[in-house]
Amino acid sequence: MSEGTILVVDDNTTNLKLVSDILGFEGYRILQAGDAESAQEIIRGTLPDLILMDIALPGMDGLTLTRRLKGEEETRHIVIVALTAFAMKGDDAKARQAGCDGYITKPIDTRTLPGAVAGYLRDRA
Amino acid sequence: MSRSITDLLQYETPDAIVVTTIDGNVLHWNSEAERVFGYARAEAIGQPLESMIVPAGHHDLYMQFRRRAIENGECTFETTRRRKDGSLVHAVVTNKTIVDDQGRPELIVTTQKDVTHLKVLRDAKLVESKFRDLLESTPDAIIMANETGRIVLANSQAEALFGYERGELLGQLVELLLPTRYRGAHVGHRSGYAAQPRTRSMGAGLELYGLRKGGSEFPVEISLSPLRTDEGTLVMSAIRDTTDRKRIERTLQEKNAELQRANQAKDRFLASMSHELRTPLNGIIGFAEFLSDGKPGPLNEKQKEYLGDILNSGRHLLHLINDMLDLVKVQAGKADLCVERFSLPELIQEVCAGMRTIAETKRIEVTVEVAPALDFVTLDRQRVKQILYNLLANALKFTDDGGHVGIGAAPVGNDCFRLTVSDDGIGIRKEDIGRLFTEFEQLETGTARRFGGTGLGLALTRSLTTLHGGVIEVESEFGKGSRFLVTLPLAAGGEGE
Repeated sequence: MSEGTILVVDDNTTNLKLVSDILGFEGYRILQAGDAESAQEIIRGTLPDLILMDIALPGMDGLTLTRRLKGEEETRHIVIVALTAFAMKGDDAKARQAGCDGYITKPIDTRTLPGAVAGYLRDRA
Repeated sequence: MSRSITDLLQYETPDAIVVTTIDGNVLHWNSEAERVFGYARAEAIGQPLESMIVPAGHHDLYMQFRRRAIENGECTFETTRRRKDGSLVHAVVTNKTIVDDQGRPELIVTTQKDVTHLKVLRDAKLVESKFRDLLESTPDAIIMANETGRIVLANSQAEALFGYERGELLGQLVELLLPTRYRGAHVGHRSGYAAQPRTRSMGAGLELYGLRKGGSEFPVEISLSPLRTDEGTLVMSAIRDTTDRKRIERTLQEKNAELQRANQAKDRFLASMSHELRTPLNGIIGFAEFLSDGKPGPLNEKQKEYLGDILNSGRHLLHLINDMLDLVKVQAGKADLCVERFSLPELIQEVCAGMRTIAETKRIEVTVEVAPALDFVTLDRQRVKQILYNLLANALKFTDDGGHVGIGAAPVGNDCFRLTVSDDGIGIRKEDIGRLFTEFEQLETGTARRFGGTGLGLALTRSLTTLHGGVIEVESEFGKGSRFLVTLPLAAGGEGE
């Protein structure tokens, strides 16, 4: 069983559930947020090891939240992986610029997602 | 007698009387000269006569008549003269040389009679007899003017167009038919034309307007042609009222803009729809995949089979939506080429490998023949792959079990190559080939039911080919098979090398 806490931020409830459940089955502890504001709220209570961050969110967008988290001492170490829609050209570069450690394109491939997440966590360690 | 003879000669002679030095500078200028030429006496005295009253292009003629007067003592001729305002008059001129006590030429006395109206009548008579019947039979309004710019003939179409009575236009300046704001410039254009007459349209690229007797304006198109006669060169103008055409043009432009807007709205709609459709589809595919992998728990065979069906249908739908989004992007000009250098034979093998299962299921033999000279190309790899994938998928789809599909690639010229995908399938009817690359135009409903698909594939394939600066063609014989030929540059413009 994998260890670690993962925060999934996505405004689409189905996608949020899919990603959460896939990683939950791997053994991670999962936190969920439907927007950037509630994600901040959660992080204030529990520091996750990794955040899967949807870019397009209502209100504050995922990249803005990433810049904030990477700018703060307590949250700088959290691995942030952007979830970008169907490989939109330039989105990967934007995600890197904002401070994301990597990105995964939607639609989520349920078979490769656990491996990818494990890889990002391993890289950090 | 109440007035002196000197007084009468100065103010009342019916001809313009001008006295000049032998060099042509004005010494005397009577009242009729003021009226005919428009220069006041004070303006004229001391000026060279030629600079005031001789039209452009008449210098040689003017000098010739003066010389003849000096040689012979006197010379009479008919000619064109220019007024101060640039308009032309027709005059009968007599030059007489005055000699001094030693018999040397000293002065030239000139009388000039304005016979413009007589000239109009003469020209009118000439063209009436020759051209009237002919010009009445043309649909266009025709106006003929002489060198002084006076109308010598207007056919009844012209009279009706401008709102004048029969014969009312005769002798009028053609400027009468122009809105006042254009008249001044027109006099200048007219003398320019007289100097170099040739058949041409008037004011190319300009909006021209005619003026009716009632004061209303209308857009016109005018073509000019010179008509050389014994009495000098006339100018024939054919005038066409373009009000209706302009209105139709405007309507068409508006319709066109409207269509463009509607088309853009359609593209935006399709783009956002595809995106919206894809989001829930990702959920469907994702959960089905997750379930069928048995992660949440073990499944029996039937459950696995049905989940496989959900997955296949979901992936097919996703594929169609992606095609649609691609097509919209390419057609809206929003797609950029992502050019890179790659091996064409490798790409072909890759596509074939992806389709092997389908080919094997239908027992279709797929042969590949790539010319040895072809290896690396610099194109958008993903899109070239899509082109080949679509063509190969089509060939496999429309070929019966046990058939044959061939893929070929060969250089064309120095900087292009041709991909061909041929099959011995059902083929395409001649009358259907034109519609083949149109989106949503699958040939006959029966075909769609039998073979599936949306009718987007070939439209997208063509768009992708065009995006690379290439051309797609098809050769087919109904019942015997089809051959698709895609000609692409070896290197496309864009990013990359």
